[in-house]
Amino acid sequence: MSAADLYRENVLAHNREPRNHGALDAHTHAADGANPLCGDALRFELRVADGHIAALRFSGESCAITIAAASMLSERVTGLDAAAIAALRAQFDALLRGDPCDRDALGELAAFGELVRYPARRQCAQLPWATLTAALNGAASATTEKDSP
Amino acid sequence: MSAAINPVPFNQAARRADFPLLSREVNGKPLVYFDNANTAQKPQRVIGTVDDFYRRHNANVSRSVHTLGEEATAAYEGTRDKLAQFINAPSREEVVFTSGTTNAINLVAYSYAQPRLKPGDTILVTQMEHHANIVPWQLVCERTGAKLKVAPITPEGELIVERFVELLTPDVKLAAVVHVSNVIGTVNPVAELARACKSRGIPLLVDGSQAAPHLAIDVQALGCDFYAITGHKMFGPTGTGALWAKREHLEAMPPFFGGGEMIRAVSFERTVFADPPHKFEAGTPNIAGFVGLGAAIDYIGEVGIDNIRKYESELLAYATDALRSVAGLRLFGQAREKAAVLSFLIDGVHAHDLATLLDQEGVAVRSGHHCAHPLMQFYGVPATARASLAFYNTRDEVDRFVAALEKVRRLLM
Repeated sequence: MSAADLYRENVLAHNREPRNHGALDAHTHAADGANPLCGDALRFELRVADGHIAALRFSGESCAITIAAASMLSERVTGLDAAAIAALRAQFDALLRGDPCDRDALGELAAFGELVRYPARRQCAQLPWATLTAALNGAASATTEKDSP
Repeated sequence: MSAAINPVPFNQAARRADFPLLSREVNGKPLVYFDNANTAQKPQRVIGTVDDFYRRHNANVSRSVHTLGEEATAAYEGTRDKLAQFINAPSREEVVFTSGTTNAINLVAYSYAQPRLKPGDTILVTQMEHHANIVPWQLVCERTGAKLKVAPITPEGELIVERFVELLTPDVKLAAVVHVSNVIGTVNPVAELARACKSRGIPLLVDGSQAAPHLAIDVQALGCDFYAITGHKMFGPTGTGALWAKREHLEAMPPFFGGGEMIRAVSFERTVFADPPHKFEAGTPNIAGFVGLGAAIDYIGEVGIDNIRKYESELLAYATDALRSVAGLRLFGQAREKAAVLSFLIDGVHAHDLATLLDQEGVAVRSGHHCAHPLMQFYGVPATARASLAFYNTRDEVDRFVAALEKVRRLLM
């Protein structure tokens, strides 16, 4: 299947067994994200210490792209501060646009470069970033787009 | 209707060949277009008519005396006659052209309902409505202090008629019901609902968006007060549709939009409006689109709406059986009276992943909430995948769809 380039093995593996999945006791930050295109919901709970993410967990019912992106993201941003996460998010957005970006810095998340060919699905991979950023900023909720008809 | 008296021969393969787009490939595979409830493809007859209009007849309507103006007006107004006949309206003057169903329902909401509503009044809808038959009513409720009431459905996706009738209490000033559900295909017993409404003096609006391409519509036999349809789902151009309403309602309704085309005389002191339907049709309309819609109505007549209904119902039965063979597949909506719409989910597979991966196999289905959040809430799911069939689809396409589903399921499990 040619979609195997998007639904590649590591994406499928993260979807089947997401890392950092569930609730986080004694979290300091949390936010709920929604993707109005499909009604998907995602929740991030973080424990931030000295400005850095000490731990995070996510939960919610979403598509494989969102789950895998959230799972990879959760591993990648642990230990980072808000500025580093923002810089990484900019790289990720560039990746989705097909612009030059630092694939090494993105690590496994570079798999989502295939979304260049699936514009309607980009917001699925962006939802975890939007939700994480909202949580760090102290916002209660995040959305990836205006509602669809 | 006429097809019952004079059965039209039906050659499915020849009819499929009328649709140029259906012969294209998507992602290297022959296209299987199963997103007809979203919008239908267009036969060459419609495409050619729109093309010919712009090449040979283009002019504005109802205002120019030159030849092109006369031709454009005749073709545009000709569609009103065809549409009136298509839905068996008593009069062509009861057919108001709109940009589609949404616009038609909004016209009723603002011009008919809003001036009549006061606090304590209600509008009755059903659990299976499209947002287009929910949100306009909510907006006028907010403005007037009226409230929305919702008639429940069964898990199979059938309206519970007794509950609907019980809810028709004196506070109900309008009922609004979908004829055919865009999500689960349920065909509602509109004539029965209309009788219950009529005996209580409650006007009934029917959202016929999904009905027009699949079954014969007779607004007089249905006995409703308003019927809204959209052109693009019945093989016509986008941006076309109509509101049919009983003459007494149209005469009582004030204009919704003001402008040209809808007036008899204008001075700065006073404007005298044209008679219905023109008083609701301000501005230059989608002329070529409506001319194309006329061709679509002719085309449906030629294929035979009874042929369409019969073929689609056989295809639906075939597709339903085929889907039941897929492990872990859950079908939403199994009404006894049902159009060829199949909403489903596969355990452990998200609808969006399904739709993306099916597209890689050339199969176009919709995934999401189908503009029916309350129905998704009823079934307790955020989204479903939906295959919606038309008479140009085939059993072979159903087989390829099911094979693609199996492939996707294996990939994601």
